[in-house]
Amino acid sequence: MTEALGLDSVTVRYGERVALHAVSLRVPPGEVLALAGPNGSGKSTLLRAAAGLEPTADGTVRLGGEGLSSLPFRWRARHVGWMPQEEPPGDNLRAVDYVLYGRFPYVPPLATESRADRDAVDRALAHAGATELRDRRVWELSGGERQRVRLARVLAQEAPLLLLDEPTAHLDIGHQLDVLERVRSVARDAKVAVVLALHDLNLAARFADRIVVLHRGRIVADGRPPEVLSSRLLLEVWGIASELRYDERTRLPYLIPRSVSAPAPLPPPTAGGRPRVHVMAGGGSGAQLLRHLVERGFAVTAGALPLFDSDTEVAEELRVPSALEVPFAPISSATREQVRAFLAEADAVVVAPFPVGPSNLANLEELRTFPRPAGIVFVRHPVGRRWDFTDGGATTIRAELLARGATEAETADDVERRLGRPVSA
Amino acid sequence: MSGAPASARPGPAGGRPAPLVALFTLLTVALALLVILSVTVGPEPLPWTATLEIVLHQLTGGRLFSSPCPGVTSAECGRWVQVVWDARFPDLVLAVAVGAALGLSGGSLQGVFRNPLADPYLLGLSAGAALGASSVYTFDLEPANRAFVLPFLAFVGGLIPGTVIYLAARSGRTSPQTLLLTGVALNAFFSAILATFLLYNPVANISVSFWLLGDLEYATWGHDGLVVPVVLVVGVLLLLRAREVNLLQLGPDVAQSLGSDPRRLTRQVILLTTVVTAAAVAFAGIIGFIGLVAPHIVRRIVGVDYGRVLAGSALVGGALLVVAWDVAQVVIRSVIVPVGIPTAFFGALFFLYLLYRPSGLSRAGGPA
Repeated sequence: MTEALGLDSVTVRYGERVALHAVSLRVPPGEVLALAGPNGSGKSTLLRAAAGLEPTADGTVRLGGEGLSSLPFRWRARHVGWMPQEEPPGDNLRAVDYVLYGRFPYVPPLATESRADRDAVDRALAHAGATELRDRRVWELSGGERQRVRLARVLAQEAPLLLLDEPTAHLDIGHQLDVLERVRSVARDAKVAVVLALHDLNLAARFADRIVVLHRGRIVADGRPPEVLSSRLLLEVWGIASELRYDERTRLPYLIPRSVSAPAPLPPPTAGGRPRVHVMAGGGSGAQLLRHLVERGFAVTAGALPLFDSDTEVAEELRVPSALEVPFAPISSATREQVRAFLAEADAVVVAPFPVGPSNLANLEELRTFPRPAGIVFVRHPVGRRWDFTDGGATTIRAELLARGATEAETADDVERRLGRPVSA
Repeated sequence: MSGAPASARPGPAGGRPAPLVALFTLLTVALALLVILSVTVGPEPLPWTATLEIVLHQLTGGRLFSSPCPGVTSAECGRWVQVVWDARFPDLVLAVAVGAALGLSGGSLQGVFRNPLADPYLLGLSAGAALGASSVYTFDLEPANRAFVLPFLAFVGGLIPGTVIYLAARSGRTSPQTLLLTGVALNAFFSAILATFLLYNPVANISVSFWLLGDLEYATWGHDGLVVPVVLVVGVLLLLRAREVNLLQLGPDVAQSLGSDPRRLTRQVILLTTVVTAAAVAFAGIIGFIGLVAPHIVRRIVGVDYGRVLAGSALVGGALLVVAWDVAQVVIRSVIVPVGIPTAFFGALFFLYLLYRPSGLSRAGGPA
């Protein structure tokens, strides 16, 4: 029996929540398997569990037939490559040095990288189509270039199994096809098994040998694309009415969404798609909210956020454009200008439960000028916690905006309900 | 000192080793020259030519300058030799070792916490170590071999803040703000206890300012003989972890997926920096900001690879403390101020610059 990856009734819990529920899966060498499913269905969790990054509450994960949990990290790194959807920007290295990180598990602790390692890096760069990027600095790459270099880093691990989490996120359609073509050819040429999370079902149908659909942590469909893709599945899992067609040339199925089942309470977003939401936060009050909104496909801006703040870190990590300000200093006119510009573009504003003092009161003052008060959602402050340090100024503005049609929400999900569903989801 | 391992290990960022070797050789030579020239500085006015001659005489085992102070009596010359070789030179060696210890610690902590403000002083490690070491005096312990007991107690004292920041890091609270404020709290806490202990010290023959501000005046060859090997050994051990620190910049998950163990690495680095900070604090008190400033300067010169950053931080940290010590001895005529005053003065200005420079302070070695 050959398998690159085996999962035997793997269960993963985050506290109370069950993210993966007794999932079993076998992936043979050379197979390209697409994990599909709505946001929060467990795709990333499955990949993390397969990479050994998520402790399993139950069940076993096997790599090349061996139980993962007993294997040392360096051994794992030679047998499975994992590419997350997002990662910290790291240092501004040359691309070739960044890709060389993929050779870490091959270099003995007291040695330096060998000729063989540098050759492996060259091969990885070539396979990823990034050879010409080798001397560029990683912070200066475009989204598509950056993704090719990240792919090269994972390929440099020369592992028989690749786990790619949304490798096409943030890429335009041309670059999406390019990256997936490359992944396909690596799987074919080197007999590498690839498991990739893809939320785009049509891309999955086009590039994968097999599609596994996850819904609420369980596998609800598993098979070749024509067997899996159906209007019923899309309606049941995604809640989207759609029409199934077949490409005349490739005879592969593709789905055309008709409409979303939940009507959006907000007016349709401005040109080109995703509703724009501006988030006011600080002190960690908006971190979860920012992640949630970005994950759900909203175009998010933020500010003014204080430097050093955990919200600022999260915004940076998510590449959310933000107006930044020195902590505990009054908001400067330049920053205020930037907030105003973000508000002018925004369809809605979410105000996280951050403490308001004289230094950041300007945020709320700007909010008074927002033309659609009904598009403002205040997240409620925890009961009994003091948040207004402005002698009542902030409370007054908040009450005034609520009177003009702003609403209050309890949780990130609640906020999302009030904002409506992004059309592109 | 630590230049050799660095130049032999260009590290993952590899590429152009030749200029790097040259750079580190240059830095090492510059540091050596700085130390030798600094021997001429001191509260007692001695002819600077004579001080240099005495140093070269002693360093070459008497082969150079066989009669180092011409024109004075041999008794006077003997006294000069004592001032230069037994008083000034051990101070400078300690300055290099302590500066290197702090530079290495700061660079490593900034790496594992991915936080440009991490530093043994700002995180409270130094204050904890000082509290540990000073307990020898507070409780009038009079151990048989104080030179060994002092750094050991400093290490034990440093483990307390070390554990707290490790736990803070493990719970994911490593935003620059939280980590820094944790350090501020630890620092204030330990400094307060330390000051109380020292003020009501039954033996009271050691000054509060020595521990709280740091001083190099009481250095002896014996102290040097203990601190230098510790710095060298820990320096090599930290350099061996530089590659893993590099990986950690991509986040703990990616680092682990590439074969590193981020938690073990963080534990090891905190332990090693506590050891080396304890050795430094035991004999030189709390000296702030060197660990913060040195890695920032070095990153500008050698780039972001931690192999180079750590080796460079050791050399630059040593040089900074030597310069601070020179300033401490000449800034007020015939008075030596504690060396922690010039380092705090310039370090605080640099700290403010980091906070308010136009590009802001978001990441270690952040966008230029």
